[in-house]
Amino acid sequence: MIEKALSRFTQPIAVPGRRLLHHIPLRFVQRKVGGGGQRAVNAEIPLIPFIDFLLCIVLFLLASFSATGELPIDKSIKLPNAENVIDMTEAPMVAITGTQILVDGNPAGSTRVIEEANRLQRVEELFNILKNKRELWKQLNPAKEFPGVIILQVDRKVQALVVKSVFQTSAYAGYPNVSFMVGRLGNK
Amino acid sequence: MAGIDVGGGHGKRPTNHEIPLIPFIDFLLCLVAFLLVTAVWSQMARINADARVPGPPQPDEPKDPPKEKQLHVEMKGEEKFKLVWKEGTTVVNTIDIDKKAVPVGDSGDMRYPDLAKKIVDEWTANGAHRAASDTKLDQAVLHTDNSTPFQDVVAVIDAIYTPKRDLTWAGKTEKVPAFNVTFSVN
Repeated sequence: MIEKALSRFTQPIAVPGRRLLHHIPLRFVQRKVGGGGQRAVNAEIPLIPFIDFLLCIVLFLLASFSATGELPIDKSIKLPNAENVIDMTEAPMVAITGTQILVDGNPAGSTRVIEEANRLQRVEELFNILKNKRELWKQLNPAKEFPGVIILQVDRKVQALVVKSVFQTSAYAGYPNVSFMVGRLGNK
Repeated sequence: MAGIDVGGGHGKRPTNHEIPLIPFIDFLLCLVAFLLVTAVWSQMARINADARVPGPPQPDEPKDPPKEKQLHVEMKGEEKFKLVWKEGTTVVNTIDIDKKAVPVGDSGDMRYPDLAKKIVDEWTANGAHRAASDTKLDQAVLHTDNSTPFQDVVAVIDAIYTPKRDLTWAGKTEKVPAFNVTFSVN
């Protein structure tokens, strides 16, 4: 048998149409959908309130959006957790990683020097940066009292000697109100 | 769907328009998803340590104030904490507490509930600043080894901040830690 060659435009797969139970007239459905003098079953989805709701969510999320957040300056810092804590405040951030001291992300000394000396000492680089920050703040806000708040982000493994040295340096530089950034433990 | 009906037409090109709401909703949903994913649900907080001993300056403070009792918390020992009440250089009372660390979670954090309880008892018995109108706090001085890891230091500071008292400031009364913590430089 010679098969008829398929033309270029012949589709071997037919476009599906209504097939399933097409022989059943389903008049009641037609009546219902068409109204049939009774209440129609078609319904409009109320999109406008839905859009209003979405816009509210977007506005709320945008308002609470924080590009910088309160995340540690250095991702390698693992902060300890505490229960009796207070809320964060805006202040200069000093981060102490395993080896480095950073002020707002910029290097401000090394922890190795303190560890090798094995005694409490002032970190000169940190002291100068903080002192400059303090003077700049005073120039910008001549009428206000300097709050002297500083936040230390310290890795949980850092030795107390380094923490105390940075604490003392901050106090010398005019930041006596030192806070340690911690994770919130429990439900407080 | 929403549309703009300006009427008319009169056989010419219709000026009514349907606003495409579905792409707009898709856009909003994408925006919501992005903002939710990038939102910083921060659990960060701070624990205070004030270098100003004995606390922040007061406007009506006498020039030569009487020496106050300070609670010295020594965590240098391997097995015991030592709580020492001092008036200037005079030791008033000394209490030893076993170092019983209770691990919290799986991140290596620990608490010292026995120490916290004892500090609460000690402040209840000996604390000098209790009135809500008193803006000064009792002073605690923390003595640590140079090699103590910072997480241990935080655990002890957390225990020192356990006792709370009322403080009225600018017409508002709130609960604040009874002690102000600072470090010993020795």
